[in-house]
Amino acid sequence: MPSPGRLDPDLAQQAIEYCYQQDWSDGLPLVPVSQPLLDRFLAQTGRGPQEVIGSLEATGRDCTVELAAINAAMAGCQPEYFPVVLAAFEALMLDRAARGGGWQSTSGPAPLIVVNGPVRGELGFNAAGGVFGPGFRPNATVARSVGLIVRNAFGVKPHVLEQATQGLPGRWSICIAENEEESPWEPLSVEAGQPAGASAVSATLLRTCEFVDNRHTQDPEQLLWDFADTISRTGALIFRDTSCGVVLCPEHAQLLAAAGFSKAVVQDWLIEHCGRTRAELRRAGKDGVNENNVRFAADTTGAMKGEGEAGGEVFSRILPSRQHVPLVVAGARNAAISMVVRVFGLWSGTAVAIETREDSRTTGTLSGSRRDGGVE
Amino acid sequence: MPNAILDPTGGAGRAPAAEQGQTGGLALAPRRRGLTGAKVGLLVNTKQNADIFLEEVGKLLVEQHGAAGILARTKSAFAQPAPECLLKELTAECDVVVTGIGDCGSCSASAVADGVALETRGTPAAVICSDAFTGSADAIAGLHGAPGYQYATTPHPVAVLRPAQVRERAGAVLPDVVALLTDPR
Repeated sequence: MPSPGRLDPDLAQQAIEYCYQQDWSDGLPLVPVSQPLLDRFLAQTGRGPQEVIGSLEATGRDCTVELAAINAAMAGCQPEYFPVVLAAFEALMLDRAARGGGWQSTSGPAPLIVVNGPVRGELGFNAAGGVFGPGFRPNATVARSVGLIVRNAFGVKPHVLEQATQGLPGRWSICIAENEEESPWEPLSVEAGQPAGASAVSATLLRTCEFVDNRHTQDPEQLLWDFADTISRTGALIFRDTSCGVVLCPEHAQLLAAAGFSKAVVQDWLIEHCGRTRAELRRAGKDGVNENNVRFAADTTGAMKGEGEAGGEVFSRILPSRQHVPLVVAGARNAAISMVVRVFGLWSGTAVAIETREDSRTTGTLSGSRRDGGVE
Repeated sequence: MPNAILDPTGGAGRAPAAEQGQTGGLALAPRRRGLTGAKVGLLVNTKQNADIFLEEVGKLLVEQHGAAGILARTKSAFAQPAPECLLKELTAECDVVVTGIGDCGSCSASAVADGVALETRGTPAAVICSDAFTGSADAIAGLHGAPGYQYATTPHPVAVLRPAQVRERAGAVLPDVVALLTDPR
């Protein structure tokens, strides 16, 4: 730890200002990165610096391990977080929308990053109170790293290739650890193919988060109806189907589990009960579905009015499968407040293992790519 | 000597100016004097109303400008540039291509990318974008070595229009489409 008396704030400010002038910043100060700091990041992985970890066809740009490391360091990560950043980015690249036009979208979607396993405690990820932030360096900087990678490595910047109409609050800040200790169910990573006890990351793109505050009932179905109301709102429906996760607080998850609801039962209940009637959809101009599964106002001409009125009670379900309703447990056990997380496309359903120090030593030696920069 | 501050863009932040200087922009495909007898390709990107819009443009090009026929194709992933096989078919079968509607962040960019790709293959293209997306459209043209690439715009919004309104829009943009596809000199 450097002693404050030997640090030069005036030089630090100049370096920060230089980064602003290069147009690298998301608006907040960046950590200026030097080769020694980059080397400490690269020493955390067995992957070669020039290995490509993601590409954006639209801009013809690739993100290499080295570029990811520079952006993660700029975001304020400690070198030890870097394997989590790599896993998070790989998990996001499994999401079709993130490989396609997601970063340029008018909806301005935010990555949701979910961390499981012992890495949460080792690095100090917050899984409990205030899990959606702020206040915790790993959560804040891992999420911010993704934003800086998109901006700097992929070249997608606001008002240019990034065309978000309004965007959403906290776009590059949603990284949560699952509260496995207070969850009655298996971790998301296990459901997504990783062994129990392994550290892993899952990720998808979100359009927004919406709270459901229900400290009002002990009846599991009343609670689920409250979730269903938020999930089913017409403003969020643009296609025939939608995808919507729930980040349950421990109290809600435990209430459901105590009533005999497994994750799968909760998912099936929501699949069954989330949706709208044709009359409700017509009221919002979303009763039609075209050949591309996009909703539209079908009765503007009046041609379908008679038919629509007759079938007004017909109920359309909107969640096609369990994969469309991922469930995570996070937050404090101090109140019954959960978060509906509105998925932009469709979660891949696959978690990505976080490389451990043992992995990086082994593969680093084999590939000869490990750098000797881990010692200060 | 202090350490250098490392560049997080891989040098790409400086690239556009250098590229412009080197390439001097894109050489457009040779233009016809008019569209009489021309086979017109329509590359529809599936955005709401794009099909009605382009079909009407095609119909008007036949009726009013003597185009010989229409080949309409749809690209299923509006966010992505058109696949190579689709570009090949359009360039092989058509004399000119009209594409759109660039009516979202990614599809405005990819529509312009398709236009540039068609020009590079020797087929004149007219890209139609909503006028709310010129920032994205211009940026992608620069990235593809075609800074200042010209395209047609139609006023935003497009998606909420009724079919008759969409056809009116097609009629309104028609002169720009013809101007982009031809060189009467």
